Amino acid sequence: MKLLSKTSISYLWVSFTVLAITGVLLFQLLRKFVSDETREQLELQTEMVAIALQNDQQISFPLVEITPLQAKKNDQLPIFRDTLIDDFVQQKKEGYYYLKEKKVIHGAPFMITVMTANIGWDGYSQAILFIFIIMACLLLLAGALVNYFINKRLWDPFLINLERLKQYSVSSQTALHLVPSAIDEFKELNEVTADLAKRAREEYTSLKEFTENASHEIQTPLMIIKSRLESISQRSIDEVVARYLVDTKQAVDRLSRLNRGLLLLAKLDNDTFPDQEQVNLNVILQNLLLQMGDLFEQRNMTLQTTLKIKKVDGSPYLLEILITNLLSNILQHAPKESEIRIELDANHMLFSNPGAPLEFSADKLFARFGKESKKQNGNGLGLSIVKQICITHHWDIAYSYLDHCHAFEITF
Amino acid sequence: MKLLFVEDEPVLAEEMTTYFSSLGYLCEQATTFNQAQEKINAYHYDSIVLDITLPDGTGMKLISTIRAHDADTGIVIVSAKDSLPDKLEGLNLGADDYLTKPFYLEELNARINALYRRKTLKGNSNIIFDDFTVDPLSKTLLYKDIEISLTKKEYELLMFFTVNKNRVVSKPSIAEHLWGDHFDQADNFDTVYVHLMNLRKKLSHHSQKDYIKTVYGMGYKFTLS
Repeated sequence: MKLLSKTSISYLWVSFTVLAITGVLLFQLLRKFVSDETREQLELQTEMVAIALQNDQQISFPLVEITPLQAKKNDQLPIFRDTLIDDFVQQKKEGYYYLKEKKVIHGAPFMITVMTANIGWDGYSQAILFIFIIMACLLLLAGALVNYFINKRLWDPFLINLERLKQYSVSSQTALHLVPSAIDEFKELNEVTADLAKRAREEYTSLKEFTENASHEIQTPLMIIKSRLESISQRSIDEVVARYLVDTKQAVDRLSRLNRGLLLLAKLDNDTFPDQEQVNLNVILQNLLLQMGDLFEQRNMTLQTTLKIKKVDGSPYLLEILITNLLSNILQHAPKESEIRIELDANHMLFSNPGAPLEFSADKLFARFGKESKKQNGNGLGLSIVKQICITHHWDIAYSYLDHCHAFEITF
Repeated sequence: MKLLFVEDEPVLAEEMTTYFSSLGYLCEQATTFNQAQEKINAYHYDSIVLDITLPDGTGMKLISTIRAHDADTGIVIVSAKDSLPDKLEGLNLGADDYLTKPFYLEELNARINALYRRKTLKGNSNIIFDDFTVDPLSKTLLYKDIEISLTKKEYELLMFFTVNKNRVVSKPSIAEHLWGDHFDQADNFDTVYVHLMNLRKKLSHHSQKDYIKTVYGMGYKFTLS
């Protein structure tokens, strides 16, 4: 539930309760004041009737009844009540107040009853209910309007910032810009968020720099080991030493390839590649197929290629790595004498080869060091580099396994 | 061929000097920016191998100094940084090639020779061994006057061997030379072997000589004797 709906609903409940209580109170108070006034008026009237009787004057008050009083009823007086009386003009019963009071006139007790119309409390309560319901509706409407404008004026910056935060990545080039707000709480939130983003980016950058620096620092010692091993290889050595040497060289090669892969990934995460230009992807693909053709031939693999002209904006350096990695992936995993399908057109590029299904979840395919099968060579970075290069170029890459064929499809 | 190695790492400088001297090239080395600058100002070199991260300055600045003296000096940048911006900047300033450490000295040698043939010898440089002649311009191999047809890979392999004569060349370095260093070549040694056998057969068919020797486990060696 959104904050606004939540507050609106609470506001509504509170409004209704307040209105109901005040409505009842208003009704009760009005009723009390009005009947008090009526009683005062009727008492005055009784007094006036009594005085008139005392002075033997003609009683000219309407709705007055004077009856001699038996001694028994004395204790109940005065009585002030409301009652219904037939109104023969309107042909219906009307509510009246009456006051019965004992007065002693010329030494004899009399009961004087005076009446006056009350104002019809049913009508009153209906009118009050009606007004209060209208008030409730108006308050609701006003609340909704206020909320709407608050939403527009106050919440908009918050919502925009929220959207920007969703888009924000510590690895992206663009810094986080938040829309300023006049509300203290939002201001503080903006400050804290901006600070958090800044620190996260700083940490990320320093981590990335560390990775790059570490990788660079590793290259030179690797080169020394490699050169020295090659120098040893030139000397006459026995078979055992030769075997040790070959193993060592293999490990050094693996290490340097791994290091390069990690370095490239670190760069791909953040750096822009300065060789952006319009590239003929089909030309790059054809050249690489030509260069690596003998490797497919050696494995008796047949290449079914359907290549159309496709120009893309990108880094030729990265695109070459992308295609090389996908081709070398096929070389590593496709069985000998299989048929490889490579397609390129305006919308997509597809690399497909037959093979047994994956022994691990396809999600791990693009993860760094994601492979579980240790059968194959390769350092577990090739496909994550492929994925990262696709991300850099804003392309989608999908893996599928259909009819015993693995397929990597890049959608431009 | 006269070479200058600008390299601050003593072991690497020694390795390069030792190998390239053994090939009969005249080698000099500089370990600092200033030393390199002095040598560049004083002498002419056919090729300069330049490490761009030097203790007292960036090797990038040396490129224009070299170019001011001689347009034909081959410049190969060697860097621990696998950095595309560096590479583009270097090539822009006038360098001819860029190699990322760690690389094989045989690869560096192949690049330097390619530059030397293209820039200093202007392409007029047939490589001759025994009765064979390799013409780098037309990429052809002749035995006496008979043309021997080579595939592209066999030609590249032959060139790689002729510049790295008498050296045990490992399978990974051959594979990297043929297919690049972007992916693991361990699976491709079979293909190296096939190309190698074909080349060996083509050479021995005419000359009855086996130029390419297998050094057990280590690789192959191209020798004339």
